[in-house]
Amino acid sequence: MGARAGAWVPVIVALAVVTTVGPAAAQIPLGPVNLEGDVEAGVRLLPAAPSQAGRQKFEEYRDLPEGAFLGNLRMRIFTSDEQDSLEATGSKWGRQDQEFGVTLGRLGFWNLGFSWDEIPHLLSTTVRMLETEAARGVFTLPTPRPPLSAANFGRRLDEVGLRWDTGKFSFRLTPTPDLELRADYTRIEKHGDRPIGMAFGGPGANLLETLQPIDETIHDLRLKANWAHDRWQLQLGYALSIFDNGHRLVTADNPCFGLPVAVTAAPPGCGPDAAGAQPGGGVSLAPPNQAHTWSVAGGVNLPMNTRISGSVAYGLRFQNAGFLSQTVNPALTSPLLALPARSLDGTVATTSVSLQAVTRPLAPLTLTAKYRYYDYNDVTQQLQFAGRAVNDRLTVAENVVALRPDYTKQNADLDAKWRVGGLLAVTLGTGWERWDRNEKVREVPTTDEYFARAVVDLTPAEWLTAHLTYRPSARRIDAYDTWAHYLSLHVDPVSPTTLAGNQSPLLRKYDEGERDRQRLDLLLSIAPGDKLGGTLSAGWKSDDYLRSPLGLQRATSWSAGADVTFVPFERLSIVAGYVREWIFEKQRSRSGTDATSDWISDNADTVDTAHVGLKAVLSERVDWTLGASYSTATGTVQTRNAGGVTPPPAVSAKRVPAFVDSLLRLDAGLRYRFREDWTAGLAYAYETFGQHDWRSDTLNPFVPAVGSSVFLGTNPHGYDAHVLTMTLGYRFR
Amino acid sequence: MTWRRSALVAVPVVLLLSTSIASCTAPRPLELTGAKGARTEELLPPPAPPDSYIGAQLCRACHPAIAATFAQTKMGRLFLNAPRNAKEGHACETCHGPGKAHMQAGGGRGKGGMITFARNDPTPVAVRNAICLDCHAKGDRLFWAGSAHASSDVACTSCHRVMENVSHANNLAKVNEIETCGTCHLQKRAQQMRSSHMPLREGKLSCSSCHNPHGTVSQALLKESSPNETCYTCHAEKRGPFLWEHVPVPENCMNCHEPHGTNHEKLLKVAMPRLCQQCHVLPGHPSAPYGTDPPSLRFTVARQCANCHATIHGSNHPAGRFFAR
Repeated sequence: MGARAGAWVPVIVALAVVTTVGPAAAQIPLGPVNLEGDVEAGVRLLPAAPSQAGRQKFEEYRDLPEGAFLGNLRMRIFTSDEQDSLEATGSKWGRQDQEFGVTLGRLGFWNLGFSWDEIPHLLSTTVRMLETEAARGVFTLPTPRPPLSAANFGRRLDEVGLRWDTGKFSFRLTPTPDLELRADYTRIEKHGDRPIGMAFGGPGANLLETLQPIDETIHDLRLKANWAHDRWQLQLGYALSIFDNGHRLVTADNPCFGLPVAVTAAPPGCGPDAAGAQPGGGVSLAPPNQAHTWSVAGGVNLPMNTRISGSVAYGLRFQNAGFLSQTVNPALTSPLLALPARSLDGTVATTSVSLQAVTRPLAPLTLTAKYRYYDYNDVTQQLQFAGRAVNDRLTVAENVVALRPDYTKQNADLDAKWRVGGLLAVTLGTGWERWDRNEKVREVPTTDEYFARAVVDLTPAEWLTAHLTYRPSARRIDAYDTWAHYLSLHVDPVSPTTLAGNQSPLLRKYDEGERDRQRLDLLLSIAPGDKLGGTLSAGWKSDDYLRSPLGLQRATSWSAGADVTFVPFERLSIVAGYVREWIFEKQRSRSGTDATSDWISDNADTVDTAHVGLKAVLSERVDWTLGASYSTATGTVQTRNAGGVTPPPAVSAKRVPAFVDSLLRLDAGLRYRFREDWTAGLAYAYETFGQHDWRSDTLNPFVPAVGSSVFLGTNPHGYDAHVLTMTLGYRFR
Repeated sequence: MTWRRSALVAVPVVLLLSTSIASCTAPRPLELTGAKGARTEELLPPPAPPDSYIGAQLCRACHPAIAATFAQTKMGRLFLNAPRNAKEGHACETCHGPGKAHMQAGGGRGKGGMITFARNDPTPVAVRNAICLDCHAKGDRLFWAGSAHASSDVACTSCHRVMENVSHANNLAKVNEIETCGTCHLQKRAQQMRSSHMPLREGKLSCSSCHNPHGTVSQALLKESSPNETCYTCHAEKRGPFLWEHVPVPENCMNCHEPHGTNHEKLLKVAMPRLCQQCHVLPGHPSAPYGTDPPSLRFTVARQCANCHATIHGSNHPAGRFFAR
């Protein structure tokens, strides 16, 4: 990551701008127009840069190379009456995370904008792979295959990741203050690679982690018209979203193909589960699709301080990409693999309706009623398949239909808020939410959840406000049919033995099952004077899943935090904050067919986050900033067998080490103003990230104990980084 | 649990009845400072006679520093230089009210009935907000009334500062959205510091990428009609419809993901395979209590369950019924 010659270009451009405009003290007249803005450029040094393995987290969403950089550029050209202007902004030019924008418009009348934003997403810097990418998304190995252990000496890829390039055009016209017309077009292009898994064998056997090519584009067009009058407002909208994928399939050679089948999994042989391994396989990638949404929304003010607003939106989603064949294995042929159609011809209609009424019949009383309806209606024809190719390896006969999920969600809320002077306000409310799901697809046709709500807003003093909310709810179901999906899926009769092996009837899925929820939130806002202010926040949530012998049984979380701002005098401000979060879930499962193989897992995450900052004006010319932030998380998964019974080793519960990560960042900066509009900055930042994850700390592509599987060997490391930045800024206004 | 259902049904009925009775028996006019009549828009102060306005020049005479910073803002440029109507032409007095009484009283905080929009301004929040909404009722503010923030008496000026450019855009009260929203939502602000996060702290996304704090038709102030439609804005590849649907996916992405940040890969709420095992309990490989032992590793390292079930969000492959193709 040395300095790049190209990186100097934007800096030179920026300095040229500065030099051109000269050291003026006010906005610069350029004939009939004026110019104002600011520019900041500088040099970044990394006296201690992260290691190659540490770069993944250090530059996960950013590009921080050494060398010259353009920190910020903003230029606004405007007419003397300020009515017409052209503004250009930009930062990080020449980098992987650069962004810039241009807006042109007449104040309060029209505005045309364009912006460009690049977001890198670095996923790994430690990948090792033997495969060669013969074509995009086609990974090959030589025949005969090298021993699996050779994967540990495969070529290293410095970077695996992708970049999002987002371009936006927007146009807004306000011909009168009451009318606004908007058009926005966004194009997101994603390109790069992402790890993906590919199975060649039976469950968990003979699998390969390889790379998925990403060349995806999203087009998003939105048109909107707004009318606003004193008493009513109306909004019409249309949105079009198109997703296009440059790739439909990723294929890879099976590293186990042709290798001798060893009784043990020791290298270089494949495990016994790789017997009969096929040459390769393929995994499908997301098909192109598109969605249209038409919407009408409006609001009207009525007598008695009443306002009614609502919206109706109707959407259609289409997906009709041609089906891939059942297998990439030419040797696998069977009439069972015939496809019932060339494509899905998928259509989903969504309907969203919202109504809201707010009224203040009395000065201290506010009543609010809301109703929402969302319908997801998959009208795609159900296709029936006679058989399936399993992992490009073998054919199974099964008469199944591809079920279409439908659901309708409705909810309603009713609140009454009563104000007692300026001291107290009490809100009592209730709510209801119903999910109606396709009874052939999901286990529970109807769930009803009932809410109650009590809110107390207390202002005992001008400097103190408290907001306390308590929200209990109870979700109840009409029936739980464990095998609804499975029985609907299969055209032929299913035996009770098969059903029993499909799913435990004791399971209650947490998104559908009965649940009692308690939720309490407190927000205290404190401002004893102009010099001191703060917020105290605490929350507690407890979910109890009822009649759920297996599955998620309990989920509890709480958080508490404080934030303080202290300005002892005009030239000094101090901020500090701390939040602790604790999240706990208890689940129970059964790995065999009887209760002796039950196991319970307590999953807990504890996260502490703190920050402190200081800004000081040391003199008329010198500003000083200091900052520190720290976050640490510990995740534990403690699994034990239930009932004190020791089951066979294969199903005995295992404890796993905790996942721990921490991020510390320290910042210090000095800013010196000289002459009229120049600033010089010196900043230092220290970042250290630590991570302990037993799953990846020592992961190699080939792990002898795993036998016939090969991974990419991604093992992100922690990092330490010192970043020194020197900048020069100029403000012309 | 019958009593609980009964109670939950009874509460709204009691509320409605009591409200109706109260509405019939209590006097209607609002008793809010400066308010007249009983219509919502009349939360606004009554129109003032033309001679009660003194003009921006006189305001500037006593408040030169404030006037100078205001002139740099978008609203300041519009009001002071290119007002589109008489209301905007009142400049400072458009929002603060006519200044003649204030000036005649010799100035001073709150003197002459000026609305200061400060934290200790006795003007009710609803009235202060009505002044802003008088011009900003359309667009993203259409559903402000009844929204979570309006119900909590959040003032426009709690989040926005129109008198100076503190933020790069949208006249926020703090330098960016995360800081502004994080003033109250401490936990959400902290979540973006977690190891698995979207690029919020890197400045590439902001709270308003997904939420509209001014009120929406959906829950949690989401900009789109549902959580999934919000996610599909950027993750349209997961929209489908697919030949084989993983049925919880079209219902709610947040069944498995916590978008504000977690300490598990891919914003998952719980580490795999435990997350998947919360719903998949059947004899065989899905329900073994995997750990660190060698036979477990193929299910616990790298992509865990997705080592094989790579298309878990839905597959359009004819052989993708188990999301492995």
